[in-house]
Amino acid sequence: MTTLSLTINGQKHGPMDVRDDLSMNDFLREILGMTGTKFGCGAAQCLSCAIIVDEPDGTSYTSPTCIAPAVNFDGKSIRTVEGHAKDGQLSALQKAFIDHFAFQCGYCTAGFLNEGQVLLERLARAPVPREALEQTIADALDGHLCRCTGYIKYHEAVRDVILADSKRYLMATK
Amino acid sequence: MRPSRREFVKWFSAGGISVSLSHLGLAKEARFASHETLPGRGNFNPAAKGTGRVDGVAKVTGAKLYASDFRANDLPGWPQATSHAILVRANDATHVYTGVDLARLSGALKPSVVVTAADLERIGTQVPHFYAGDLFCPLGKTPLYLGQPVALLIFERFDVFDQARLVLRDGTFVKFGEETGPVIAPDYGSYRFTRVAGALPEKPDIYSPILAGWVSPKKVQNAALPVWSPLAKEMPADYTKAAKHGEQIRAELAAEDASLLVLDREFETQSVDPMFLEPECGLAWYNGKGGNLELVLGVQSPYEAAESIAHLLAKARAPYKPAHINAQFAHVGGGFGGRDHTPFILYVALAAICFPGKPVRLAHDRYQQFQGGIKRHPIKMRSRIGIDRSTGKIKAFAADHVLDGGGLVNFSANVAVVAATGAIGIYDIPKVDVTTVAMHSRGVTAGSMRGYGTLQTMTALEVLIDEAAGELKLDPIEFRRRNALKQNGRTMTGNPYIVSVRTPEILDKLEKHPIWQQRAQFKQASSDRLVGTGVACVTKDYGSGADCSLGRVELGADGKIAIFCDHVEMGNGIGTALANRVAGHLGTIADEVSVARVDSYDVLGLVTSGDPYTMDQKTQDAASRNPRWVPSISSATSASIGAHVGTHSSAEAARVIFRFGLWPAALELWRIPKTDPRARQWPTARWENGQLMMNGLEPLALPALAATAHARGFVTGAVAHSFSRWAWSRARFPLFGEQWRAEIDALAIRRGNGKFERINRSSVKFPPTDNNRIGTAYTSMCGTVVRVEIERATGALRIAKAYSVFECGTALVPEVVMGQSHGGFAMGVGYALLETLPPFEGGPGNGEWNLGRYLIARGSDLPLRDLEIEMLKPLTPDEEPKGMAEVVMIPIVPALINAIHDATGHRFRALPVTASLLKGVLA
Repeated sequence: MTTLSLTINGQKHGPMDVRDDLSMNDFLREILGMTGTKFGCGAAQCLSCAIIVDEPDGTSYTSPTCIAPAVNFDGKSIRTVEGHAKDGQLSALQKAFIDHFAFQCGYCTAGFLNEGQVLLERLARAPVPREALEQTIADALDGHLCRCTGYIKYHEAVRDVILADSKRYLMATK
Repeated sequence: MRPSRREFVKWFSAGGISVSLSHLGLAKEARFASHETLPGRGNFNPAAKGTGRVDGVAKVTGAKLYASDFRANDLPGWPQATSHAILVRANDATHVYTGVDLARLSGALKPSVVVTAADLERIGTQVPHFYAGDLFCPLGKTPLYLGQPVALLIFERFDVFDQARLVLRDGTFVKFGEETGPVIAPDYGSYRFTRVAGALPEKPDIYSPILAGWVSPKKVQNAALPVWSPLAKEMPADYTKAAKHGEQIRAELAAEDASLLVLDREFETQSVDPMFLEPECGLAWYNGKGGNLELVLGVQSPYEAAESIAHLLAKARAPYKPAHINAQFAHVGGGFGGRDHTPFILYVALAAICFPGKPVRLAHDRYQQFQGGIKRHPIKMRSRIGIDRSTGKIKAFAADHVLDGGGLVNFSANVAVVAATGAIGIYDIPKVDVTTVAMHSRGVTAGSMRGYGTLQTMTALEVLIDEAAGELKLDPIEFRRRNALKQNGRTMTGNPYIVSVRTPEILDKLEKHPIWQQRAQFKQASSDRLVGTGVACVTKDYGSGADCSLGRVELGADGKIAIFCDHVEMGNGIGTALANRVAGHLGTIADEVSVARVDSYDVLGLVTSGDPYTMDQKTQDAASRNPRWVPSISSATSASIGAHVGTHSSAEAARVIFRFGLWPAALELWRIPKTDPRARQWPTARWENGQLMMNGLEPLALPALAATAHARGFVTGAVAHSFSRWAWSRARFPLFGEQWRAEIDALAIRRGNGKFERINRSSVKFPPTDNNRIGTAYTSMCGTVVRVEIERATGALRIAKAYSVFECGTALVPEVVMGQSHGGFAMGVGYALLETLPPFEGGPGNGEWNLGRYLIARGSDLPLRDLEIEMLKPLTPDEEPKGMAEVVMIPIVPALINAIHDATGHRFRALPVTASLLKGVLA
């Protein structure tokens, strides 16, 4: 057993004792009841289980939770799909997903939302040229599997959020 | 009427068990309702603003929607703790099963309960006919198929379950003894579809399934395949007649005839997994001692699931027999057919029955989903086609199909039939003879999956057509145009389609598209890559021949609309489609849409009997005299019927509310007396921006109309049931002094705030039982052109550009329709190029398959910026919606194979065409 403390969507959890081999996915879903993070394959292939890990330096990355032990997240700050809306207001990306009909069954949506949000925040720190945008989005989202949509509307939603605030996310054109 | 979660409706009784079905979103408890239900009840519904889906907010905020999201402590009234079960399956089907060795689960890791075949014997369960076969392989028998369950292990605490499943991961604890070889079982069904047209198109057919019925050969010997010869001993007379015509067609194709181009080709398709992203899951709680069995399930066929569980336990001994079963249904995380009639739900129920007092969760992981989930049928096909060289017209077609149905019968016979009757695709062929047989094998069970057999047979056909066009030196699109079935032409079973046939328009679009126009220009090969262009055009039926729709619409005094529907949301946007279709009658998007609701229509008091597919006319006529009788009550959400069927009853209910609620309210507000001729002009009224418009009259807002309707006791709610057997049932209902005619067979109405009351139909006309001879009458079309680039060195294929064009009548939610067409394209690409499951020992039944090994299309496999999809506008503003979710995945498959041939000169006759296979032919 290991004592685990972490911050989820700004709220502190722990310290609590967890088994060393308990997956982060089961910690969220079975221990905390936070089932917005999904279980798809248990092999880090579909990334429907991906969450956001926030680093102390202000950067973030996504991590699968199905193969990662919960204890690996000790001391970390993470975000899940349940934490994107603030004060009842949906994030720009959540709204874009809805406006674009980006998802169908919605089981992969949490993973795409987290990945897209990390991309937005990365571009806000390090904008890319407009001509690199399509490939940047494609590279960012390619690890995520969706069986319903064909991905196009997810890509369009992310692109539209970026283009709607291009000064923030894209390099200035000369 | 808005029943609480505790006011369950008793729908049917099986073996003394009362059964009810309800919906997760009905809980009154605030915490549950605010976080875990769909929009409505005051929650933000983006669709009401004209954008997004009704389930949009729930899905982007991680609300509990799916069966896999729920634990016991989420459910009001349940115990707090959840126990967990593991379904152990056989990974060998050629040796005698000798038991599970659980020695490695020592001490605290021991399961609380182990359920085996012997326990079922003791309990007295009975297997529903549809799932015939041992639910658990008994000791001493060879498993019927790879992946057949052998035991259910139940663990009271999650931690124990979690550690135990890791310990058991390798599957070596399932023990086998003597080698027996696989179990040999009879085939699941064999049919022959033969049609001989008259001498001229306008002449009646000489022979067809419509004229003579469907035929099947008698089993005359223990051969692996049926004996198709009409001369075989003791064949049924109807079969012999069909077979004589069929053999004549085959003889003509085999004859030396220089005027006829005859191609005789084989094609083989693979087994694939639906790979819906949410593995199957369920939660159940049996309070023991003959009390209630509560279930939370996620399936495409809720009514069937509850019925099957009731059958399973109907003869169980005390204390295993519940008095009451209540099944609640959640959204599903993808279905694609694989959750339609799944045996998984039986094991969820058994887990609870065998651990009374404790809620038990049974959830597949992905390995288990591959090992036990329903698969697509692999089909071996041999096709012969004869074409008049001078006219380029197809004269005859003969084919033989062999489907591998895997271990349980499931829908194998049905898939075989749909595959066979789809085998001539978009074409008008005067002489057709197709035999089909679905075989048992030791493979994982195959069943319903998007395309339902036609994906396989139409791929084989469109590749054959492409080859024939090449042989005849005809343009592939012109060849298709020359042979395309026209609006009133007859299908393989001898009936015409009863919906629009827009193949010519689609072929024209394909021909004019730049991808096709520029194919020669792009074919210029470079040193490092080959370029090719391919085309295909298909048609796919929607509907199953016995489809039901239940709908309830309520209009509040404030003008807010609530809709309840029995069809399931599996990503297909049924909730949003319902909202939009009802808005056409009531002027605005519903505030609340509740799907998978099979509990809201008790006022209709429906009863049913017999089998709608096999019933004779006399029986149907006699049963119809009971005004509450219908051929079937509820059907699965499948067969692309979401738009056409799923929304139908709600739309009809809304029409009743308009005619007998809002329209009389409008007349009052306009002060138009009933004697005024304008009082009969309700069909000319129209809605604009939530206001009812009539020329020369003041626009009326829906809330004002609703308030008046409530105040005056006009109709403010309606419940309807409808049934389609390639045509809707029609009935008359006495309403307010007139006979209301509608394409429904049961109706209830509410006046003002009163209770719903059933209106007994005064007459009904159910579609004739002879319609069961129809292969399909509803169909939609789709065509695709695609350009591929193939690296010579590696065989890596890139889809450079693609264009698909399809028609679907009136699109209820165009954005969802486009999304489904994107998804269909992606699934088609995976099927053509990536996905495959080996049969038998190396396949998914061994429990070792997962994503990574099994490849589905990623974004980088698709032309995300170079895929153009065109949805044709409806032919008329009021054209009915048509099912489209299956047809859109089909043509990309043969179009890719044809493009690969164009690029490489090699025609592949088996799927998938992987990069390594391509590299092989380029070497």
